Amino acid sequence: ASFTFGCSKINDINVSPNNPSIDKATPQVLFPSAVLSTAGNVGGELDIIGGIWSQYWTQSPAANQFKTIDSYNLQRQDFNGTYNGLFSGALPDYQLAISKAKDAGQFPFYLMATVMKAYTYEILVDLYDQVPYTEAFQGAANLQPKFDDGFTIYKGLLAEIDAALATKYNVTLIANDAKADFLFGGNMDNWRKFANTLKLKMYLRMVNTHPQDAEAGVRALYAAQADFLDTDAGVNVFTDATDQRNPIYAYTVFNLGANDLRASKTFTSWLTANDDPRITNYFGTTAPTAIDQGYYNAPQSAQPGYYSATAPKLAATDPVYFLTTAESYFLQAEAAARYNVGATASSLFNAGVKAAFDQYGLTAPTGTAYTYPNGTLQANLRAIIYQKWASYPNSHTIEGFFDQERTGYPEHSPVYSLDATYVAGQWVYSKNGVTGGKFPKRLVYPDSERSRNANTPAEVPITTPVWWGLPNN
Amino acid sequence: QSRTVTGTVTAREDGTTIPAVSVSVKGTTTGTQTGVDGKYTIKAADGDVLLFSFLGYDTQSVVVKDNVINVVLTLNSKQLGEVVVTGLGINKAKKTLGYAQTTVRSEEINRSAAINPLGGLQAKIAGVNISNVSGSSGGSTKVILRGYTSIGGTNQPLYIIDGVPLSNARSGSSDNFDFGNGANDIDPNLIDNISFLKGSAASAIYGSRGSNGVVIITTKKGKSGKPVIDFSTGTTLTDVAFVYKPQETFGQGWDAHFVLGENGNWGPKYDGQLRPWGAIVDNTQLLKPFSFIEGNVRNSFDTGIELNNNLTVSGGTDASTYLISYNNIFSNGILPGDADKYQRNNFSLRGTTTYKNFSADASLNYVAKNGNFVATGQGPTGVGTTFYENVLQIPGDIPIKDLRDYKNKYFNVDNYYTPYAENPYYNLNENGSKSKSDRVYGNVNLNYKFTPWFTLQLQQSADVNNSSARIWYNTNTPTPGSWVGGGNTEGQSRKPDVGSVEESNFQTYEYDTKLQGIFVKKFNSKFDINGLIGANYNDRGARTLSTSIEGLAIPGFYQLSNSVNKPTSAEAESHRRLVGFYAQGTLGYSDYLYLTLTGRNDITSTLATGNNSYFYPAANISYILSQALDIKNSAVSYIKLRGSYGETGSDTDPYNINNILTATNVGLGFGNLAFPFQGVPGFSISNTLLNPGLRPERVKEFELGGEFRFLNDRIGLDVTVYQRTRQDQILAVPIAPGTGYTSELVNFGSVRNRGIEIAFNASPVKTTGVSWDISYTFSKSRSIVTALPDGLDKVILNADGYGGQFVAIKGQPLGILQAPVPQYDPQGHIVVDGQGYPITAAENGTYGNFQHDFVMGLSNSVRVKNFLLGFTFEWDKGGKFYSGTADLLNFVGADPKTTYNDRNPFIVPNSVQKVTDGSGNVTYVENTTPITEANTDDYYYTTSNKAQAWSRTILDRSFIKLREVTLNYMLPKTVASKIGASKASIGIYGRNLLTWLPAGNHVVDPEVSNYGTDLASEYGEFRTAPPLRYYGASLKVTF
Repeated sequence: ASFTFGCSKINDINVSPNNPSIDKATPQVLFPSAVLSTAGNVGGELDIIGGIWSQYWTQSPAANQFKTIDSYNLQRQDFNGTYNGLFSGALPDYQLAISKAKDAGQFPFYLMATVMKAYTYEILVDLYDQVPYTEAFQGAANLQPKFDDGFTIYKGLLAEIDAALATKYNVTLIANDAKADFLFGGNMDNWRKFANTLKLKMYLRMVNTHPQDAEAGVRALYAAQADFLDTDAGVNVFTDATDQRNPIYAYTVFNLGANDLRASKTFTSWLTANDDPRITNYFGTTAPTAIDQGYYNAPQSAQPGYYSATAPKLAATDPVYFLTTAESYFLQAEAAARYNVGATASSLFNAGVKAAFDQYGLTAPTGTAYTYPNGTLQANLRAIIYQKWASYPNSHTIEGFFDQERTGYPEHSPVYSLDATYVAGQWVYSKNGVTGGKFPKRLVYPDSERSRNANTPAEVPITTPVWWGLPNN
Repeated sequence: QSRTVTGTVTAREDGTTIPAVSVSVKGTTTGTQTGVDGKYTIKAADGDVLLFSFLGYDTQSVVVKDNVINVVLTLNSKQLGEVVVTGLGINKAKKTLGYAQTTVRSEEINRSAAINPLGGLQAKIAGVNISNVSGSSGGSTKVILRGYTSIGGTNQPLYIIDGVPLSNARSGSSDNFDFGNGANDIDPNLIDNISFLKGSAASAIYGSRGSNGVVIITTKKGKSGKPVIDFSTGTTLTDVAFVYKPQETFGQGWDAHFVLGENGNWGPKYDGQLRPWGAIVDNTQLLKPFSFIEGNVRNSFDTGIELNNNLTVSGGTDASTYLISYNNIFSNGILPGDADKYQRNNFSLRGTTTYKNFSADASLNYVAKNGNFVATGQGPTGVGTTFYENVLQIPGDIPIKDLRDYKNKYFNVDNYYTPYAENPYYNLNENGSKSKSDRVYGNVNLNYKFTPWFTLQLQQSADVNNSSARIWYNTNTPTPGSWVGGGNTEGQSRKPDVGSVEESNFQTYEYDTKLQGIFVKKFNSKFDINGLIGANYNDRGARTLSTSIEGLAIPGFYQLSNSVNKPTSAEAESHRRLVGFYAQGTLGYSDYLYLTLTGRNDITSTLATGNNSYFYPAANISYILSQALDIKNSAVSYIKLRGSYGETGSDTDPYNINNILTATNVGLGFGNLAFPFQGVPGFSISNTLLNPGLRPERVKEFELGGEFRFLNDRIGLDVTVYQRTRQDQILAVPIAPGTGYTSELVNFGSVRNRGIEIAFNASPVKTTGVSWDISYTFSKSRSIVTALPDGLDKVILNADGYGGQFVAIKGQPLGILQAPVPQYDPQGHIVVDGQGYPITAAENGTYGNFQHDFVMGLSNSVRVKNFLLGFTFEWDKGGKFYSGTADLLNFVGADPKTTYNDRNPFIVPNSVQKVTDGSGNVTYVENTTPITEANTDDYYYTTSNKAQAWSRTILDRSFIKLREVTLNYMLPKTVASKIGASKASIGIYGRNLLTWLPAGNHVVDPEVSNYGTDLASEYGEFRTAPPLRYYGASLKVTF
């Protein structure tokens, strides 16, 4: 029954004056929101997990916060802000922005939101192997979306990017709309390059398990004369004000008092061995005191230096990168090394190294690590991936973890870093690891999904590689 | 001998004259009534017996032998003909009610000059739980009828004043501040009576708003006659009712050593030797004995004062009456200075008039409040800290009282003794809050009597409140290199507090219109009917605007412009309407059997069309067995049996139907990214999926009871059993993030509350000069969660910041306290790690639930001539609560539990270590690793011994309190008349005088909480203020 006053219903007043209804959404407000949701996770929680698992940093013995990460002891309740945050934050907002932009013929937003959606999704697939995709974001219509396998999702995302690139995206945005693009200020050429580079990155992820698809995809890109990123894709909008700070800085420094993250011996030993000047940019000193990975319970008498170990150099105004120029060149170098496409691998490698040092206004050293070996594919790949690894801090360290899982570089050390035979830079098994010597390869689904969605795949050990992972690594 | 007898009839309770008392000569038809002045004249002969009878009073008989006979009538609440106010302001004979209803009168409410209407009623009504959640005058009173059944919604009763709803909003209150609840705004002096409708059969007539019971307040009216001036004044002193008892053995220090700058009691044993203490300032240092200071904590407080003055003028003619009242409350609380000052002014006007068949009455009330409140709990990180948090951290040998001189060079920001805490008196003097509110409420009530049996009534009310709150924290920045700034023996420097200012405005409004027809008809000698039919329209809402800055540019200047950062603002609005149609009829048979049927249909604005109209039925039967069997003259003087069934419910909050966007706030885990960002706005799809299919919550309640009186009403017993079930509860439940949302608002499951309520009365002594009345109440209720949504094992109701949770679990009592527990081996030994500390189990364990086993109250009142002595005890037994105060006291080693084994090294009792051999087989061996002396403090800290911390912070909720002691003396008329008064009384009283806590809790009064006044508050408290004890004197004079 409906009760009416004059000609209006009693519940006509039940429209919130505090929040816009969902049908008032526009790409202009959804897109920047979703981008910072992606940045908050890539540059926040995932930067911490990536930073520890890629062995740039380790947990200080003087605090507790990240012991479960450093011991590979993540359970369903731990550090699932990324899963919850991206599925309920960034991704449905990109999705809605895409459909709104398509309907309104706002093709620049269509491309921008599609590329960012693909980038964000790719990270989730790489962390969890399978996630909801075809049945995701349906709200009450489907409370238990099925999980799609990673390869299916990759193919779906690549098709989505291609569809967006096929539209008339290349129109100039009005000034206000361009402001909503934190990455490139509305420069659609850069968005096209970002799209192409992201495709290249995704095809190269498949080399272990879907080599034909990988090669065909890469060759198709070059055949279409795709251009790749020659500028950094990321957000550089953070200031030292309430709720406007760089995510990992806000998380670990401003709120947790910089008590937890400390330099890892794995990384500092490599930087020192190679006289890499970026050591100052990463740790604020040319001679950081480091802690051996995961040895947070060392007796103070045995390792007095641990208590005064160097913290990573993080600032409130640091940018969060999604894909840097250096990374773009290193991806192209790998494509050239594998398939002999584009420019020579060695020139692309050099461009990558240069871009990585340019980021800090530095010149690369001339040691062997910074020289393209022009040897076997494995030797070349090793050189490329080590340089990528050294370039990811401080903002998207999770990529170092993914690269290792895909290529096996840096190699796993047979000995702990306190051993005299330890080779600088090789990853050591955490002193307090709980996985019996096996390195982590993925995250476990959070309780929030498992307890509420019967379609969640059975839990596998954290050490099982994801679908594209290098076997026996 | 025949005479003309004259006299005046007055009431014993307040000495006022009673008009319309029937006066008759026993055994004759001769009779008359007293006039408006209470006077009568009747012809009678010597030896005749005059009977004086009046509804609600004991009948008096006097043998005629003089020309003047003045009579004093005594109120008899047990009178068969007692008339009470039931739902929608209808007066009905209590005997017709088929459900439990308790009514208390003005005298009881004001006996101890409580400034809140319900403050004097604690422990006096079975099934009504009244507690003060904060220790400040002006703070909230928590009132729960029967028990909790709503998990996600409200459990607050509906307040009705003179037939119209009254807002009980707690505008601006938070975990840090309690600015009081709306029902406390009423001047208690002005209340004539309060009725508690506990069950759904009684409250069904209020439909969607009556599901948690109804508190019906009826205020005084003027009486016809010459002007009457009532003046009352009460002066009450307040002090701390209960403070924790720290251990008295170990003094300042940490890790078993004396450390000058430490905020813990982890030092050596007290030795009474003179030692320097505090900062080294200008190469000098203070000196004091190293010994425990008795009463140190209590000395951090002062004695507070509360003044309660009321002046009421009333009077009228036969046709019209008026009442004008002014009430002034002034209080300055137990904290030094003006940090907790509170003032309230109530102005009330009330008038009634009758013209032929038309009658009208109207009331208008204005309440102006103004209070300073002190923050409790944990201050905002990096911005400022609170008084209580800092007081708890002061070692037992440091004289708290001296620290009051917070600008003294030894106690100031730079040279406070420790860098780990701040001088609490700095907080008290430099931080603060001010709450102001202006409220107007009142109603107009028009009646027209069409026929003797039918009256039409139209009532319109308004309740509008405008309030504001300002909260400020000063900067607190130690100079680098000073004692606090790093110059102490440990080289620690305290992070500066940047300070903040927040200014908020709150508006609430409620308009209620009611049109109803009332009919009363006696058909023949057997049947009578009493009914009403009506419609109700309610429109209410609220608006909030709040702006704040963080980081003061100029210290000590509290203005929104004074910041290094941009101000942030937030606004919120809500508006809802409810339309109800209702009817109720009571059919009476032979004055001993009554059947009442009630139906109400509500239409709400907050639910979607199709789901927003719903019907609530109720029925009750009252059977007065004693009357039916005519056994009134036996030892059994009265038996009434009653039974009822009722349904009520509640709709949802506004704007829960249609999905929305929210201004984006990306949670990082620690910290946020909040839009607008660099001038760019951002909106995100809300993470909560709203639901157009929501239905109202529904409460179904059965109730059976009886009233039994014996020996001419000298002994009375009232027993009620009930079962209340709340179904289709509306709550946001978690859903899989893959849906794009993290929670969905749904109707689900149910909570069942069963209970028993017993009220026992006895009058062992009842003579003209001396009487003794005992009243005892007992109630026991238990709420069980009977259903939750599929796949959801628990719903979190509240949580502390460290890992403890307050949850609802299917099949278990509502409100389980779950927290970390140690791992146990299969034999039940505690498993410890290599350092000898217990290992925390993967899952939280259960520490119990909050619900009391029972609550009982015992009141006695003894009248000897003009003296009346009364006292009330309350005993609440059982239940658990979490104490954030205990958490901090364990951290700083002040809790007596921390002296276990005299702080010598010990091995965790009954502990084992886990050994895993090469092939993965697990065995457990006896633990031999002790907790060393220097590590004892870690053993008691929440994060370093997470497994066992909650065993020391989840405490027994039981208490026994001496709630009230009153002694009143009614001045003899001859004395009163000397000052021109018709009556006068003086009284002394105390409230909350004594508190007994069980051995398991010597830390904090379990009634205080800074988690609000609803279900979440039952989790416990987090470093809140102690409760108050009141003692004072009052004077009441009527001219």
